Amino acid sequence: MNSIDEVLLRFTSDWRNPVGIAALALVLFVAILYWEQTRFMLKSLRRNVLRSVLTGMATFILVLVITLVWSILAFLDRQTAAKSENLKAIITEKYQLPSQMPISYATSLAEGAPRNAGDYRVNPAKDSMLWAFYGGTLDPNKKTRENIIFFFAMEPSKIISYDNRTKKYSSMMDDIDQATDEEKRLLNDACREMEKYPYKVLVGPTRLAQMNKRVGERFKVTSLNYKEIDLEFEILGEIPGGRYELSAAMNYQYLQDAIESYNKGKSKDKQHAMTERTLALMWVRVPDMDAFERVAQQISSSPEYTTPAVKCDTASSGIASFLDAYKDLLFGMRWLLVPAILVTMSLVIANAISISVRERRVEMAVLKVLGFSPNQILSLVLGEALLIGCTSGLISGWLTYFLINDLVGGLALPIAFFGKFFISDAAPWWGLSIGAATALAGSVLPAWSARSVKVSEVFSKVA
Amino acid sequence: MKALLLILFKWLAILVGGGVLLVVAVILLISAGLMVLMLLQAVGLVRRVPLGYNVRNLMVRWRTTLLTGLAFTLVVALMTVMLAFVNGMYALTKGSAVAGNVMVLADGATDEVFSDLGYGDISTLENKEYIKRAEVRQDNKTEVRPLVSWELYQVVAQQLPNPQPGKRSSRFVQVRGIEDPVVAGMVHELPLHEGGQWFDRGAGIQAVPGGGNEQYVQGVLGEGLARELGRDVAKPSLAVGDTFELGPRKWVVVGIMKSAGKTFDSEVWAKREVVGAMLRKMTRSTAVIRVADGLDPAQVAREITSDFKSPAVQAQTETQYFESLNGTNQTFLIAIIFVTVFMGVGGVFGVMNTMFAAIAQRTRDIGVMRILGFARWQILVSFFLESLLLALIGGLVGCALGSLADGLSATSQMSGGQGGGKSVMLKLVVDARILMVGLVFSVLMGCVGGLLPALSAIRLKPLDAMH
Repeated sequence: MNSIDEVLLRFTSDWRNPVGIAALALVLFVAILYWEQTRFMLKSLRRNVLRSVLTGMATFILVLVITLVWSILAFLDRQTAAKSENLKAIITEKYQLPSQMPISYATSLAEGAPRNAGDYRVNPAKDSMLWAFYGGTLDPNKKTRENIIFFFAMEPSKIISYDNRTKKYSSMMDDIDQATDEEKRLLNDACREMEKYPYKVLVGPTRLAQMNKRVGERFKVTSLNYKEIDLEFEILGEIPGGRYELSAAMNYQYLQDAIESYNKGKSKDKQHAMTERTLALMWVRVPDMDAFERVAQQISSSPEYTTPAVKCDTASSGIASFLDAYKDLLFGMRWLLVPAILVTMSLVIANAISISVRERRVEMAVLKVLGFSPNQILSLVLGEALLIGCTSGLISGWLTYFLINDLVGGLALPIAFFGKFFISDAAPWWGLSIGAATALAGSVLPAWSARSVKVSEVFSKVA
Repeated sequence: MKALLLILFKWLAILVGGGVLLVVAVILLISAGLMVLMLLQAVGLVRRVPLGYNVRNLMVRWRTTLLTGLAFTLVVALMTVMLAFVNGMYALTKGSAVAGNVMVLADGATDEVFSDLGYGDISTLENKEYIKRAEVRQDNKTEVRPLVSWELYQVVAQQLPNPQPGKRSSRFVQVRGIEDPVVAGMVHELPLHEGGQWFDRGAGIQAVPGGGNEQYVQGVLGEGLARELGRDVAKPSLAVGDTFELGPRKWVVVGIMKSAGKTFDSEVWAKREVVGAMLRKMTRSTAVIRVADGLDPAQVAREITSDFKSPAVQAQTETQYFESLNGTNQTFLIAIIFVTVFMGVGGVFGVMNTMFAAIAQRTRDIGVMRILGFARWQILVSFFLESLLLALIGGLVGCALGSLADGLSATSQMSGGQGGGKSVMLKLVVDARILMVGLVFSVLMGCVGGLLPALSAIRLKPLDAMH
């Protein structure tokens, strides 16, 4: 079942939403066309500035909370939405978590495990990426959150590379394509450097600040998951901000070399316990669902992957499994928190408008005497509410976007493996829509009561 | 430019935040003074404004009262539910720890899932004097055994029956391989429900009727997991004798643990060797010991950490271990405080609207009261009291509504924030502390929202008000 917010989030997924822009243009056109009525509404709002400001502020604050909550929900919805084209297949150990596969699986998995002529073959140079995880502490005697660092160990060419033929950068990692051209260029240079000097690493800006380290510094990591494989690193640069603020990336080869060096001259039973377990997962990019099904079938039917067995999931399915532990929390956010805030907003607006209508019954009666129709009076009251709701909603949505994304650098809330969330580009639309909807819901009854004012009753009381 | 804006924003936030805090502090101070005055009025030491006047006003303007009260109700109800969730998480970490237990993990392991104790000198742990020994009855025999539970903790991806395309295809199940189930049950204080039994200390596998020659892994489930797996086969819970698939093997339920309120509620226990073989991990991740009576578990933990070096281990009391998993709870708590405060601010603006309107409508009343001899501060108390009354009623209804969440089940994740963590099933706990917080928050909203309008009321001059 789709909730209202899911429908709205999909509808306003981009600030360039044509329907939204058309609706806004229409409203502005009507406001200019009926300028006298618009002016009257503005005057009415100005008459009790304090009330208008208080109502606007309440809407502003509550829209801010909804924008934050929806940004998290919208991001997670996007991650778990099934794609039909250009999708990523995630190959992991079938049963165990964390997944620990032998590196010998990597070569064939990177091609999608084709065995026969006619099998689907992935281009391993462009459309696959291996992942390992290396974690440790900067101070073995003080394992605090600030001292512990986890690296994505991967092939630098898959982080980003430049195609001289197409003159374009390509990356297997999510959201790298959203970096600026300059950031991509710097990242590309850094990745080539990582290939040349495998001890050089990239660290997210926030993680770097937490570690109190700077670019160019060297440090030693005492490993937590690769016992006795302690490595020295040099910080080469920062991973472009955003999703990877808290992450760090290293060249997989550096880890593999260290293990091989540890095992040198040792019999099989004395070799490092992680020797055959370094490959955590493999990503392969396929063009459509049909290709995914073929690759998944090739992998699951291959006799090559038995100890351990492997499985192939779409990225959305894999992420959904990780989010399962949070399902009640997300349900509560979607179905309890957001509706409660929406109702609170409607109540605040309803209260303000109904007080305003009660105070202005004589004015409504005079308007009727002057020839205003009941529907015109209804529109005036609704218009006042909409003016407050839309204006404060729009400002709140935009300001939330600006504050969180541009100034604060993301909303830190660790859910599953997502460390930071960003406000959607469409936040101003959300603010506008929420402000308008709650203003409308809250002002319908007071407006109807204003429409139904009986002139004779009002003037008999005045007399 | 961005850095400059950020600095400006930070200063602005500090200034605005500081200003708001200062204003709220002043408001609370004045509110406290007014509450003292109200008390003095109640005991008859000073002349009072009749409470009935305020109550009648609330009743006459019942629509406004209802709308404002409802806003209070919603904010407080929501806060109660959210705090009940975090309370449930804290109750779970607290309830899972046994006071006399010490937990031993490999040095450097931030969680059980990353720990590998191996078979070095740590294997001699059970010979130590600081370990409690107790009579254990199993297979109709009674013998004295050290209360040491050797365990292998793993997370297994269980394929879901009939997953929808593109949707979640697996569920993560926490599996604990146990060497001596009876001792483990005693160490963790986890008895079994009637009709069940621990898996045997032999093979830990068995044939089941209708299962042919296949050997099923004997599993003992936590109550929560039994309910979760029961949903797959349209039953309220799996019961003894039921079977399920997990990993590459088929399993049969031989017992259900009385595990409600503990993290073990979401686990399945089986023989360690069987689990190890299934997951290619023929080792032990954890040792949990019960310390001999009269000894300090923290001291024993320190001794273990310094005694064993092959492999190096880190021991801590079970209480400390579960407290370290509270990282997620703290994050949730901060998020809840943030959301509640912001919702509260929204609610405060609503109350201000109501009270300013109430004063605007009753300027004549105020004039009459002043002419009758009521002092400014009495008018102040009167309107302030009205706002508090509104907040109290709204808050009480909110608490009552929020209380309905008590005992509801929810899933969540617990982690110390350094990797690992546990998926848990918890029950929401609404206790007196949460209800008190809800009411105090509601009254606070009433104070902040009611004081400024009440102050504006006392500025009215009697003759002006009468015009």
